[in-house]
Amino acid sequence: MAITSLKSGISTRSGMVGNTLIYPGSYESIATVTVSTPVSSITFSSIPATYTHLQLRYFGGNTAAPNGSGFIYFNGDTTGTNYYDHALYSDGASATSTADANGNNLPYLLGDLNRWGVNITDILDYTNTNKYKVARSLGGHDGNGNGYVLLTSNLWKSTSAITSINIQTSQSFIQYSSFALYGIA
Amino acid sequence: MALNLFKIETAEVSSNASSVTFSSIPQGYTDLIVKFSTRETDAGSFGHFGIIFNSDTGANYASQNFRADGASNSSSFSTGSNYISASYGNAAGSTANTFGIGEVYIPNYTGSNQKSVTMESANETNSATAYMFLTAGLWTSTAAITSITFKQTITGIFVANSTFTLYGIL
Repeated sequence: MAITSLKSGISTRSGMVGNTLIYPGSYESIATVTVSTPVSSITFSSIPATYTHLQLRYFGGNTAAPNGSGFIYFNGDTTGTNYYDHALYSDGASATSTADANGNNLPYLLGDLNRWGVNITDILDYTNTNKYKVARSLGGHDGNGNGYVLLTSNLWKSTSAITSINIQTSQSFIQYSSFALYGIA
Repeated sequence: MALNLFKIETAEVSSNASSVTFSSIPQGYTDLIVKFSTRETDAGSFGHFGIIFNSDTGANYASQNFRADGASNSSSFSTGSNYISASYGNAAGSTANTFGIGEVYIPNYTGSNQKSVTMESANETNSATAYMFLTAGLWTSTAAITSITFKQTITGIFVANSTFTLYGIL
């Protein structure tokens, strides 16, 4: 039986004496992929439709030098005209704003062999069939003297619920690169 | 370890609304996050909405904004405002079915200091011109935050299927 604190309003799974309180958090791991041998594509499929939002966390390297780049696709739709993306990024000297029709770029995949990129992507209302789907990402890569910090967004012009996410690179994600998908209640 | 994130409430606009309020916010968390996905009725390609706390509509807010529009960038700030400038949501001129998305982070919302927030948002549309926002905001009150209102600041209203989800963080 869930116990709800009158002070905080926070519910716990068990209030039994002697039990460690376990908080039923709203942030759950769906799946994590850690690259064992270099690959150019990662897919999360059969994504549960039971959450409110999704969050994808990336930490990885790329065989490109100095910076790799990538692409994101939903539900296996690789038609470029079904996407649009925008980005705001800084390279340590100036800030730049870009737009890309027919684009599904993930400019954040900017790690190289030794200096990895980090990125967190939110995909809100991913099952809402009244909305085109938007992913918003904050990330960056520091190459010890060069690098980028980026805010990006990707539009998928479909009202379909998202059931799979595919991330690709023109190069390869290197060993130990990690992609973690979370569901947010 | 998974983030200690707890949903407090979701507000989904079922019919046009000029504001959305989370009230009686529990005081037992460390920080708050609101994730939003919104579309508004303002003419043009973007709308305007702001944030107020505890129903305080006085000139007690300030904002720093960094905006990108797909081609160029600009900075702005405001002081003595009646709200924190939150975002340019998608609007009547945006591609149908598109909703802007963003997140507000509110640390130490029960503390006795003035309240600072950060926010990032993206107004996506099928056009070269789309807006991104990075915002730092301030509410000069030292009161604990017990309610958050997202309100239209010009003439628009939030359309159906706009959503706001409030989370507490431990």
